[in-house]
Amino acid sequence: MTTIDVNNLSKTFGKTVAVNNVSFEVERGRIFGLLGPNGAGKTTTIRMINFIMPPDEGEILINGVKAGPKTQRWIGYMPEERGLYKKMKVGEQLIYLAQLKGLTASDAREKIRYWLKRFGAYDWHSKTVGELSKGMSQKIQFIATIVHDPDIYIFDEPFSGLDPINSELLKEIIIELREKGKTILFSTHRMEQVEQMCDDICLFNNGKVVLTGNLRKVKKDFGKNTVLIEFEGDPTFLDQLENVRINNRSTNFAEIRILEGLDHQDILRKAMENTEVHKFQLVEPSLNEIFISTVGEDNIKQQELAV
Amino acid sequence: MSWRQIFLVLKREYITRVKSKGFIWATILVPVGFAAVISIMVFITVWESESTFEVAIKDETGQVAPPLIEINERRYLDYSDLEIDSLRTLVQQDRITGYIVITEENITERRNPELIYRGSGGMEFLMSVESDFRQVIREVRLRRADVSEEIQEIYEARINLDTRRLTREGEEEDDDTIFLSFVGMLLGIIIFISIFSYGGYITRGVIEEKTNRIVEVIASSVKPIELLTGKMAGVGALAITQFTIWILAFAGLTTIAGPLAMSLMETSASASGDLAAAEAELPAFLDFPTVEISLIVYFIIFFILGYLLYSSLFAAIGSAADSDTDTQQLMLPITIPIMIAYFIMFHTWRSPDSILSVVSSIIPFFSPILMITRIAITDVPFWQIGSSILLMILTFAGTMWLSSKIYKVGILSYGSTASFKDIFKWIRQ
Repeated sequence: MTTIDVNNLSKTFGKTVAVNNVSFEVERGRIFGLLGPNGAGKTTTIRMINFIMPPDEGEILINGVKAGPKTQRWIGYMPEERGLYKKMKVGEQLIYLAQLKGLTASDAREKIRYWLKRFGAYDWHSKTVGELSKGMSQKIQFIATIVHDPDIYIFDEPFSGLDPINSELLKEIIIELREKGKTILFSTHRMEQVEQMCDDICLFNNGKVVLTGNLRKVKKDFGKNTVLIEFEGDPTFLDQLENVRINNRSTNFAEIRILEGLDHQDILRKAMENTEVHKFQLVEPSLNEIFISTVGEDNIKQQELAV
Repeated sequence: MSWRQIFLVLKREYITRVKSKGFIWATILVPVGFAAVISIMVFITVWESESTFEVAIKDETGQVAPPLIEINERRYLDYSDLEIDSLRTLVQQDRITGYIVITEENITERRNPELIYRGSGGMEFLMSVESDFRQVIREVRLRRADVSEEIQEIYEARINLDTRRLTREGEEEDDDTIFLSFVGMLLGIIIFISIFSYGGYITRGVIEEKTNRIVEVIASSVKPIELLTGKMAGVGALAITQFTIWILAFAGLTTIAGPLAMSLMETSASASGDLAAAEAELPAFLDFPTVEISLIVYFIIFFILGYLLYSSLFAAIGSAADSDTDTQQLMLPITIPIMIAYFIMFHTWRSPDSILSVVSSIIPFFSPILMITRIAITDVPFWQIGSSILLMILTFAGTMWLSSKIYKVGILSYGSTASFKDIFKWIRQ
């Protein structure tokens, strides 16, 4: 069942086309990753889904309802640029934010108590946010996002600026929410997190969707054309390889994407001639590789169009 | 628009501010300051009646000293028997303030009496001595000229202008134009200051939400127009709270100040056993003529309209700025009309019915300051008041529309302060 249905969405600021005819669907109970380089239009799309900005064209349906004040209450949103009132007490602040999402004061109080206890933050209730450390206020920010127990969670670059402990905590929360059947959409440019967590992805470039679908399927479609190689010896043979792209290179390791024509056995042969090979593996490309090649191809195509 | 959301925003804006130390201090300190000023003035008056300057009179005519002593027996001492040298010594030793030698020439010729003193006492002392001598010497001259009592009375008479107001209903009233002129100016200044200070609250509040980066979280629950309306209403409620407290405090202070001052002066006067001083009149600055209720109502109307008119613009500026320090230039379009109104007020205060005063008091951006000044001082025709109110309401609708457009875009654009060019773009979007 589709929870967030984005159809032919467009948004223009002055002369800049921020979002250009974007469509994708987010399924209930899944984690959806919105990927793309900076300035690709992720945040603008997310803001339109949250009804912070109206789209110029196209339509957004949340559980079949057009995005509006009503659908805002079904969403918990943590923006990339996030913060809290510094001079307001933690408890008061959370009650205010929960009330804005439609909770009654007593309902809000109860839920806030639960989450503060759960995060071991109950003592901070009467402190102002200004008195808290950065890590502490990040936890309060999570609570502010999830306190009204919505069905949908949207996180814009959630892991940027988080300390490792809170990064781990947020990951746990997201996984737990999915287990409860909630829908999660988050944007990021950190691929390893997407690989670990996402069920579906949507890749943005220059305001357009260049790739969307189930993560496993996307990877499968790219084929097993990546070589992981571990060796000991002179690594200069890597530089002589043609028609490959080398990612993740270090003194005794390389991830090699075979672009076209070249047989992976050739790589193995060259490696054995020059070094002692410890490991040689043929795998699906990493998401990072998919990201780079898709965005790269898309950019080349656009340059050609421009010419 | 959802009233529930607006009310939640209003409540937060109001409660967090009303509890803030700055607000509590300002609310307390203004009446305390007012009370302090009044009590300082009372004490000056009381003190003044206590302090005595002794002026020795060496009167060679025998006609000047007795009436002077009659005027002020504590100040003037008849030392006609002493030699000038001993008078000088007394002054040098600070036993008396000064001395004056009166000779025939002071009466028969145009020769001024001369006060020899150590230089203490100040202008007020010198002026009162001067006026006492002027009166006494004139009386002596008149008596010597053997003019009739009638003519003497004519010379003694002082002509002032008394004024009474005739209302449209044909009733005569006491005229307090001078007092009301000060009230009018004061009300104008109060509105001037409060537009800036409450407007400043709003600008800073908007910038705070931007720099704290909470505004996007709020925007995912509340429409920008709801947030803006709630903010303006919250700070407006704060302003009304503060003014109610101040008005009550002033009313209380002015009611008790008069009797308190009287009793103070009576005690000090009876302590010195001076019955004449005990009957002294209340000092003029404590004699508050009553202010009409209608003036207070108009003040509230113009205060609220002026606040509304300008506050949405202050919010728009906050949304376009990226930090507190960047607001200066953006403030200009607001600051200029308020400053112009403020300067015109000093003209309006003296001639409230001039064409400049009438016309500019109807211009919506000037009305809150100028119309209230005029209403306080003069009898403003109702059509002028009515049209200024109507124009302000219409202009408010315009500024609100404009501000909400700027605000909507401004709160989400981080990183740099917008230029006027950017702002025009936002309006046209």
